[in-house]
Amino acid sequence: MSDIIASSAPRADRLRPATDEQLRWFDITETDRSRAEALAATADELAEPIIEDFYRHLLSFEGARRHFRDDDQIARVKQGQLRYFRELVAAALDDEYVANRRRIGLIHERAGVTPTLYVGAYAYYLHSLGHMVMDRMQDDPARAVSLLLSLNKIAHFDMALALETYVDTREAAIEQREREMSELPTPVLQLRDGLLLIPVVGTLDSFRARNLTVRVLERIRDLRARAVVLDITGVAAVDSAVASHLIQTMTAARLMGATAVLTGLSAEVAQALVKIGVTSEALHTAGDLQHGIEIAERLMEG
Amino acid sequence: MSPPVLPAEQVLRIARDGDIVAARQAGRLMASEIGFSRPEQALIATAISELTRNIVSYAGTGRLSCRAVQQPRRIGLRIIAEDQGPGIPDLEAALRDGYSTGNSLGLGLPGTRRIMDDFDIRSAPGQGVTVTVTKWTSC
Repeated sequence: MSDIIASSAPRADRLRPATDEQLRWFDITETDRSRAEALAATADELAEPIIEDFYRHLLSFEGARRHFRDDDQIARVKQGQLRYFRELVAAALDDEYVANRRRIGLIHERAGVTPTLYVGAYAYYLHSLGHMVMDRMQDDPARAVSLLLSLNKIAHFDMALALETYVDTREAAIEQREREMSELPTPVLQLRDGLLLIPVVGTLDSFRARNLTVRVLERIRDLRARAVVLDITGVAAVDSAVASHLIQTMTAARLMGATAVLTGLSAEVAQALVKIGVTSEALHTAGDLQHGIEIAERLMEG
Repeated sequence: MSPPVLPAEQVLRIARDGDIVAARQAGRLMASEIGFSRPEQALIATAISELTRNIVSYAGTGRLSCRAVQQPRRIGLRIIAEDQGPGIPDLEAALRDGYSTGNSLGLGLPGTRRIMDDFDIRSAPGQGVTVTVTKWTSC
């Protein structure tokens, strides 16, 4: 497992075991597959009445009905569903199958089919099929149960694939938003001739810190600034990594000929930084923005 | 002081920068529920920042758990950061100020040791890292 996590592949892949391992986790054996296949003929035959019945059930829900524009669309979705359940009993459970299932999961997620709707529909299908198979195999109920239990395993494997897609999609959306947040440009304001103010807001990760340094240096050069006030009142968290980024930015500013003053450090954060071992030699700091600007102005004159 | 109702253990998955902020907030909240002062809460939040940032920077993914621990005369907050990453080949060096294999100040681990009361680290190359730290309420 550790090698899977440590690999540098994108996260979605690195946490997901390969298909073989997944099948082992669900304890799906060759026997299960052949038993499920034994149900293929029956499932094929019963699929239509089950799906008709299911749509009667589904369309009695106002919320579910809203997913469908017209009868044409319902007919198309029914066809898709027929295929879906046929594959469940007959398909080879290989990588291609997994990819296909995940694609279908994605379509559901985009269409706003909730996990409750999805799992509920699945349960309805398995339940209907179960009853019908038991009816037909009255002479050998033990075999009927073993066939259905094998199908049940595969169905759960199948459901897991779709639900993983839901989770991945949400995670991707969150990451996307975080990236957008971290790419928020940090404004560099000219307070007056030669004096710049940079209010830093949010999370200062490495990517953003690099951008910040570049922006500050460019503006110092363009505006021939002699002092820079870096205000971090709005930074969510300050630890040694963030402190390191700030120190680098301020040191670089000084190399460009501008004095940097850091403001907005709360008392608690300041104490914590000192205990961690961040030293403030060579750093001009001020408790609040007002004071910081005053210090900067003094330094410019001096 | 009446015994406070101890908060339930929290386990968080750590995989990206956003998780560091979330872990920090969760830890700070728990510290305040246990009865730590505001400066102590900031110390704990900073320790969590350092530990989780190490996970994101060096291992990619890992977990952080926070729970209240009780002894006859004191209450504490125990934080366990663990990952399955490449591990630390030289623990002694990693605990020295200014030592870093990445591009950092090299204060994360030694700093965390300074601001917490108990500090334990276990690691071996290829075996991941487990850091267990505890801060006790002063009483």
